[in-house]
Amino acid sequence: MEILKISLAFFKIGIVAFGGGWSVVGLIKQEIVPSWMSVDAFSSLIAIAQSTPGPIALNAATLVGWQKAGFFGALAATFSVIAFPLLAMSLTLAFSRYIPIKKDLADESLRSGSMAMIIMTLWTLLPQNTIPMPWMFALASFCLTAFTQINGVWVILGSGAINMLLGLLP
Amino acid sequence: MKIPSRKNGAKKTTKKTEPTPFRIFLTLAQINTLTLGGGYVIVPVIGNSFKKQGWIDEEEFYRIFSRAQVFPGPIALSTSFLCSYKIAGVKGAIAAVLGVVLPPFIALILVGGFISLYGDTELFKRFLKGAGAVVPGLVGSMLWKTAKNRKWTTRALIEVGLLTILLVLFPSAAFFILIGGIVFIYLGRLIWKS
Repeated sequence: MEILKISLAFFKIGIVAFGGGWSVVGLIKQEIVPSWMSVDAFSSLIAIAQSTPGPIALNAATLVGWQKAGFFGALAATFSVIAFPLLAMSLTLAFSRYIPIKKDLADESLRSGSMAMIIMTLWTLLPQNTIPMPWMFALASFCLTAFTQINGVWVILGSGAINMLLGLLP
Repeated sequence: MKIPSRKNGAKKTTKKTEPTPFRIFLTLAQINTLTLGGGYVIVPVIGNSFKKQGWIDEEEFYRIFSRAQVFPGPIALSTSFLCSYKIAGVKGAIAAVLGVVLPPFIALILVGGFISLYGDTELFKRFLKGAGAVVPGLVGSMLWKTAKNRKWTTRALIEVGLLTILLVLFPSAAFFILIGGIVFIYLGRLIWKS
């Protein structure tokens, strides 16, 4: 039953997974927070998904599936999230002659859609209170990744290490 | 690491191989295991590798890449899928999917096992908390970069604005708002040309 729920949730996510991983993160959150896990647990999960190889949406699906229902949950979530994209591409390859879609218009529409998705993701992931620490981490990582060429993975790992070291202080 | 001498460098980089499904799988699996960072980091790496093996030329690759963006799902997956179909047919496409999906899946199963072993220690919890704390910042910088690279028109601003307000107000209907919204925007652009 759990596995069926996971599959359905990620199949839905796969249908609207436009415009790069980060836009999808908000959608995944909508599906699983707070019924399946807390916001903090979700943020950690996303950090892991981003700092391991592979597309973030795919990794997030695997991790959520794993946490909810073990190996088969992970398998179901992973294949559900790519099921619709693969189907859509196969059908398009087979029937592309008959589909009268204007590519440049579709492109612009999807750009608007994915931009709105990223803003929603940001909105729902912002710290929910005014404790300065999370805001400082978020602001610092924004500056580092927006204005320098540093790969976000190092920011994630570095921040984890810093927070760990802070814990060792008396 | 050996640095190829300039004399035979040119020949070495254009070493041509036959694009068999197995080679496609190996190439993509290797790239997906070793490259960290989002889809827009990995796609150029895939393009270079395919080009070097003489499977596809750069122009064709980026043409397919821009077409891949119309489809949902990870961009690395759709680009690999469409390219491999082009150069090696259905078997190539299947090999591409496995090459993109399997390595991260295996890596994460290992990580998942690691976390259930050490996830309860205080130190590891602090690590995860610190790692999670930067996520909003990374999303913000993604937003900044996407916004910077787009040609903004009044129309695009209105589209994004309205869609965002709807998504924030009715998060539980996000799925339907997005599908409906994208179709609506497309039809709008088709009917009222500005």
